[in-house]
Amino acid sequence: MTPEFELDDKVAKVLDAVYAAPSERATKQAQVKLRRALMTARGKMVYYGYAPKTRVGPLFVAVNDRGLVALDFGLSEQEFVARVAQRTKATLVRSDDETGEALQQVQEYLAGRRTTFDLPLDMSTMSEFQRRVLNIALKIPRGKVLTYGDVAKAIGKPQASRAVGQALGHNPVPIVIPCHRVLGADGSLHGYSAGGGLQTKAWLLQLEGAVLPKMSE
Amino acid sequence: MPVGSIETINRRVMVKPDFEELVERHSAEIFAYVWRMLRETNDAEDCLQETFLRAFRSYSRVRTGTNYRAWLYKIATNTARSQWKRRKRSETYTIDLDPEMQADGASVIDRVEQKTLLVAVARAVEELPEQQRAALIMRKYQELSYAEIAAALECNEAAARANVYQAVKKLQTRLGVNGHVLRSAA
Repeated sequence: MTPEFELDDKVAKVLDAVYAAPSERATKQAQVKLRRALMTARGKMVYYGYAPKTRVGPLFVAVNDRGLVALDFGLSEQEFVARVAQRTKATLVRSDDETGEALQQVQEYLAGRRTTFDLPLDMSTMSEFQRRVLNIALKIPRGKVLTYGDVAKAIGKPQASRAVGQALGHNPVPIVIPCHRVLGADGSLHGYSAGGGLQTKAWLLQLEGAVLPKMSE
Repeated sequence: MPVGSIETINRRVMVKPDFEELVERHSAEIFAYVWRMLRETNDAEDCLQETFLRAFRSYSRVRTGTNYRAWLYKIATNTARSQWKRRKRSETYTIDLDPEMQADGASVIDRVEQKTLLVAVARAVEELPEQQRAALIMRKYQELSYAEIAAALECNEAAARANVYQAVKKLQTRLGVNGHVLRSAA
């Protein structure tokens, strides 16, 4: 063991002056600025977490201080993080605490032990049009379906079926915002851009006991 | 029914403190540390913020039961190091002395001389290898244990001890009775 080497008094004294502690006032001021910086950072923070094994593959969620901002499945952690960071312009931080509730509810839903969600949603990064479309989707009860045209009519833009399809296709929170309950005018599943594509859409509708139209192939 | 080992029981009852609690408990001492490392108020304030922001971002990945204090010192040391390098590149160097320390009734000349001496010593200290300087400050002024210094510097305890020893030895040689700094200042 190396012995503690002692400085002689004179050296020690000068060194102590060089390394004098900051004043209480300077410390208090630094702490105030620190708290402010942490608070700002927290407002811009998005937390994410995942369930490695669900019926639809590895499932990721992201939440901020206002609510759920993203949900996705069938992709890698890096892909999810990159996508959400780009869309929200935020720093993503892994947090099982912050995302636990959302993950639990989604897993219960997929296991058939839950029929509705009780989660705040942050829809602030969406365009006004997408928000209106997804708000209609949110109102479709479990087991029921609408067509793209129905949704277009519901938001007062009966000609906008295609744009409605786009808005649903870019739903950042599938499953929780049930865009899978919207079908083509002919009753076909039409499309599903989340992981697993049409198969997942069909499976979700079956899980909810919707009367499925025939798969048009 | 099998009984868990002490370790698993300990792990089960250990709770990770709230990040807020870490800020409450350690922000003052981490500020003192980076202030001593950088000795410039604005740099030290920036460094303190950057340290805790980095800590906040990676807190979820830190194992429960970690020595959080040593972990914060590790981040602070790395943050101060990059700030130090940035400053060296810009080639400006000033030393902030605590205003309360300067207002001790000393004459202007005394104060100027005192400051000159301090700057000379500060420069000598800065010539120490970074690990040694950091180890010295943590041991002598922040009162960390060698185990904590080792964790902060990511080395073993023997190396932490050796770093402090080498720093003290070099300063003694440079600044002691035979060292040129104090002799020329006397």
